[in-house]
Amino acid sequence: MSKTIPPACPEPDHGVRHWRGLDELSGSPAFKELADREFPAGASELTDASTRRDFVKLMGASLAFAGIGLTGCRRPEEKIYPFGRQPEGYIHGVPQFYATAMPTRSGAVPLLVKQQDGRPVKVEGNDAVPGAGGGTDLHAQASILELYDPDRAQRHMRGGNAVSRAAAEDFLVQLGREAAAGRGAGVAFLTNRSSSPSRARLKALLQERLPEAKWYAHEPVDFDVHRAAASAATGAAVRPLFKFEAARAVLSLDFDLLGTEEESHRHARGFAQTRKLTSPHDPMGRLYVVEPLLSVTGANADHRLRVAPGQVLAVAAAIARAVLPEGEVKTALAALPAPAGVDAKWISECAADLVAQRGKAFVVAGHRQPPTVHLIAHALNAALDAFGGPVALVESPAPGDGGIDELARDLNAGAVRTLVILHANPVLDAPADLDWPQAQRKAPTVVRLGYYEDETAETATWHLAAAHYLESWGDARLGDGTLVPVQPLIEPLFGGFTELEVLARIAGEPSAKPYDVARATFFGALGKTDEDAWARFLHDGFLQDSAAKPVAGKLDEAAIAQALAGAPQPAAPSKDALEFVFHRDAKIDDGRHVNNTWLQELPDPITKLVWDNAILISRRTAVELDLENAELADVEVNGRKLTAPVWIVPGMADHTLALSLGYGRQKPGRAACFNGTCAGFNAYPARVSTALHHAAGVKASGTGAKYTLVTTQSHWAMNGRPIVREANLAQFRAKPDFARNFDLDAHFGHVANDPATGLPKRLYPTAFEQHPEKQRSDVHQWGMAVDLSACHGCGACVIACQSENNIPVVGKDQVLRGREMHWLRIDRYFTGFAGQDRDLLRADEDLWRESWIDDPQVVNQPMMCQHCEKAPCESVCPVNATVHDEEGLNIMAYNRCVGTRYCSNNCAWKVRRFNFFDYNKRPINYADTRAGMRGELYKGPFAKRDAAELELVKMAKNPEVTVRMRGVMEKCTFCTQRLEAAQSARKVAAGASGDVRVREGAVQTACQQACPAEAIVFGNLLDPQSRVSRLKQQSRNYEVLGFLDNRARVTYLAKIRNPNPKMPDFREHPLSVNDYTTLNHSDPFAAHDAHGGPGHGAAPEAAAEPEGAH
Amino acid sequence: MSDIFPKWTNRLPAMVFTGVLLLGGAVTAGVWYYFTPKYTRVGYQPVQPVGFSHAIHVDQLGMDCRYCHNGVEKSWYSNVPAASTCMNCHNQVLAQDPKLELVRQSYATGEPIPWVQIHKTPDYVYFNHAVHVNRGVSCVHCHGEIHKMEEVYHAKPLSMGFCLDCHRNPAEYLRDPKDVYDLAWAPEDPAAHKAAMLRAVHDWKINSSQNCSACHR
Repeated sequence: MSKTIPPACPEPDHGVRHWRGLDELSGSPAFKELADREFPAGASELTDASTRRDFVKLMGASLAFAGIGLTGCRRPEEKIYPFGRQPEGYIHGVPQFYATAMPTRSGAVPLLVKQQDGRPVKVEGNDAVPGAGGGTDLHAQASILELYDPDRAQRHMRGGNAVSRAAAEDFLVQLGREAAAGRGAGVAFLTNRSSSPSRARLKALLQERLPEAKWYAHEPVDFDVHRAAASAATGAAVRPLFKFEAARAVLSLDFDLLGTEEESHRHARGFAQTRKLTSPHDPMGRLYVVEPLLSVTGANADHRLRVAPGQVLAVAAAIARAVLPEGEVKTALAALPAPAGVDAKWISECAADLVAQRGKAFVVAGHRQPPTVHLIAHALNAALDAFGGPVALVESPAPGDGGIDELARDLNAGAVRTLVILHANPVLDAPADLDWPQAQRKAPTVVRLGYYEDETAETATWHLAAAHYLESWGDARLGDGTLVPVQPLIEPLFGGFTELEVLARIAGEPSAKPYDVARATFFGALGKTDEDAWARFLHDGFLQDSAAKPVAGKLDEAAIAQALAGAPQPAAPSKDALEFVFHRDAKIDDGRHVNNTWLQELPDPITKLVWDNAILISRRTAVELDLENAELADVEVNGRKLTAPVWIVPGMADHTLALSLGYGRQKPGRAACFNGTCAGFNAYPARVSTALHHAAGVKASGTGAKYTLVTTQSHWAMNGRPIVREANLAQFRAKPDFARNFDLDAHFGHVANDPATGLPKRLYPTAFEQHPEKQRSDVHQWGMAVDLSACHGCGACVIACQSENNIPVVGKDQVLRGREMHWLRIDRYFTGFAGQDRDLLRADEDLWRESWIDDPQVVNQPMMCQHCEKAPCESVCPVNATVHDEEGLNIMAYNRCVGTRYCSNNCAWKVRRFNFFDYNKRPINYADTRAGMRGELYKGPFAKRDAAELELVKMAKNPEVTVRMRGVMEKCTFCTQRLEAAQSARKVAAGASGDVRVREGAVQTACQQACPAEAIVFGNLLDPQSRVSRLKQQSRNYEVLGFLDNRARVTYLAKIRNPNPKMPDFREHPLSVNDYTTLNHSDPFAAHDAHGGPGHGAAPEAAAEPEGAH
Repeated sequence: MSDIFPKWTNRLPAMVFTGVLLLGGAVTAGVWYYFTPKYTRVGYQPVQPVGFSHAIHVDQLGMDCRYCHNGVEKSWYSNVPAASTCMNCHNQVLAQDPKLELVRQSYATGEPIPWVQIHKTPDYVYFNHAVHVNRGVSCVHCHGEIHKMEEVYHAKPLSMGFCLDCHRNPAEYLRDPKDVYDLAWAPEDPAAHKAAMLRAVHDWKINSSQNCSACHR
């Protein structure tokens, strides 16, 4: 039974029965006669004064008994509705997990989804699937909100009118029959990309039945180039599979492995495995990145080269010239120019390092780069013996679909009578030069299956509401070819169609049920009909031994040389001929998630912008073009005009502008656009088919007007405080305990220590220390360690926490006031101002003018409630709403909180979030920041959210966690509901025994479980063998703001970088260490003695001027 | 000056003061007694759509609690049984009795019987049945002598104070987990039992937490 707010309070019709005496109860005739009389016998003769008094007393008491008194004070009557027939194996209150997968363009993310109260509430990774690892990315975590999106398509439409599902089904069958009669002439299918073998099978079936029908595929952000390039490079139909865990050196040519390339959850896990160290002498991988935009991958690189997007080809060619043996390819490369403005030593040393790691090194090119760059990358891989090692090639036939430009041509020629669109949204994202809306109108019948009533739905003849993958039967293949099921966790909420059903009906299949289609595909893949195997497949979430066989790759040098010979060679950009990048947004993808409020409110990993996109620009270019931060700029791209605000990003390549795709949409829902105010700016109108990713010859100028861009972190620098501590690998090996040698932590060895803990003696003991036997459990003491070497700042943990803990979304206006509700945030710092004259009192917003931001380093740190043993928040709560429990958690009792906010005031980490408004029940104008249009929040109870919408939105909530009301403080609870569930389960199993300690690994916090890099580790500190205990014993372990001596239960493992000493941009220390030593006049790496010896008061080491390329 | 106020107004402040004290005291006392769960909840006995009698089924027939409330051992929630559970017997016993008409209809159509909820903690309290019944807390401690009730009534206040009475002193209320569902059970030797339970609290690591996070999250 879910914890819902009781409905309005009617007088119960089956009230408590009260009676004046047994006579009434028994209904005796004597009583009836008594009641019938107006007055009790004897009352008519009120002559005696005392009798009168007695009578009044009697009447008063009777009145009270009659139930007028206190029945109205009872809580409203609620009902319990059990089943009519008990479903087998169902225990209400116990969550059930089902294995499924979230389909992506070229693969899938295998998942275990938690179902509670008959609906899915939380998405987790499926760690049973080999090779995938069990992590998830932020899109998988956020996908559950879209299932309960009130703006999703809830009806099937024909010409603007809603029709029944039966009518839609009949129409599809009819369409199929008519098409078959003409052998498919005039029929065109436009689909998105999918790895589903069931869909492929139905497509093959349809191609057989409708041989003249044409198939096209369209994705505005298309990763098929990886397959196409690998196939071209080797002359075989293959696709590359990158294994970052097997590599010691990786060169990324604009390949955002940790962010906007597909399979980021798998790549992140593999990459993190080469970065995490258990001891100083563990080997570590090295990452070189060449890119125009500062991406998450670039932020985590050991060496980063920022070049304009068109120059990546020149860089790739230069490296290839240094690595490849003599041959056709090397000869062809000679014709390509050297990269402009790049230090030749960067190229040569990077190449030398790759060669030194032959067999464990590889090169990978990003999806935006032209095929020539990919071919060079594969040539390098062949030379580095990467094929068959870190780069596996798996069989992958070309999908054989035409492109959208061909479809537009066919439409304009009048060759298409019936167009069936599955999931694609070409009216929004087809290249602008195709003039798609008018081309689409040429087809008399357009049938579209879509999840939202969006741009394409408006122009379609028939629009069928699609089912979410959490409501669908289907299947998919992972990147390595493993077959995984897509299993529904709830019946389609609005009768949506899956694409399998649509295709099956058109094909006239006897059973159009997607369940049957998926089963048939499975038995076909298995080779036999085996029910046990099917049950096991659904249970495990994958089919054993179904991974694709690797193919040995042999380079087709002639093909590559030929491609290189004809390759366009872009000139370096300049102030008047800028380059423009249309990039996949880190959060909302190509626009498909624009109505997902969790993703909109998640700060972008690099810019920390919410609810908007902006034209990213470098400092130098902004100065040259005389643009201010957040100033609206007119940009002319491909002959089309764009107006959008600019945002100065450290580390951005010069003379390059970038705008992410998918924002600025009028549709599909209220998070994307409300009352004319839309989130962000639409890049699609400027995107043409000849320049889908990069455009050249772009002009930009300022308009003078400003736009309110909201960022959650406008302060970039740590100001000399050792919040994130890092070291280069060599320094770490030389001084393994460097992380404890910063700030006052360094002094802990020199003051009187408590022999028990080894930490300084306190003046005032904590409650823990005062009454250990009562206050401190000897079964569990919870703690957490976050490995900063592994965390790359993707934000999957933030979304997971939001999903698990019912954290509300507040909208752009409230985020502008700093009221975002994320319990867990990722702090991102840019480092590198050492040697510059920095005025610490100046506002951080002005940092975008300073030259050090041209080539900064980036560090990420997840920050959540530190669960201090001596919490500064606990002692100041006037109503004792926040207390410490015996297992080390700092807990919140929401019902006690009165909203003083003193606790947040006292928190040094500022991890407490206050509910300034009732964010759940009020409709929010999410994207609006105009003053006076604060939305409905300020109207309080007078602003109501539509009831049906509220019912749908409530389903996304986790029933095990309270939904907080206005006026209540909240913060990370270490997922106390999970701890309770795990402890209860253990106690239930223990029964009459003392075996109540939760097993290691049995409980994971939401953030821990979501992290693809396994950077967050949570567990029992009383178990010396637990992962968290072992991590905390590492020398890298430190506490943020440890000088406050709050004994935080959350500690961090310092970040280790692995730069190449021979590279020109090598520095002995990471830039943050230089910042620290400059501002604090103290060197954590020098030997330290108690009397201000070396390390204190010494002149700061002059940081070597970075020999950049600029 | 003539007397503006009559003489008795000299006593007015004292009277008002005393009156306010008395009124405040009365209101406080009234709220203290009448507004507590002990007064408002105990005795609540709503009329149920089907006149199910625990006395007949448990006391007389000897059915185990878990036959119907099958989720209590595994879940936080102790479920009211589905109509199919009733029909396991009542498809033969009293198969046509009019008192069971709703049950038969529910079984046939799937339409649930609208039982009136009696025991309910507020929304901010998260109570877990499984961990209590598996560790020695019998049903009768919180639900009263259910096996003797013809119609179920709210027997205990279920206020936070009531929960803390046990959580502060669990040995008083525990028994061997195998006797939990024996509602009529009573210790043969109360003193020895108490001593045994004190030992059990230690041996079984009964940590009846008094911290807020145990129930409020």
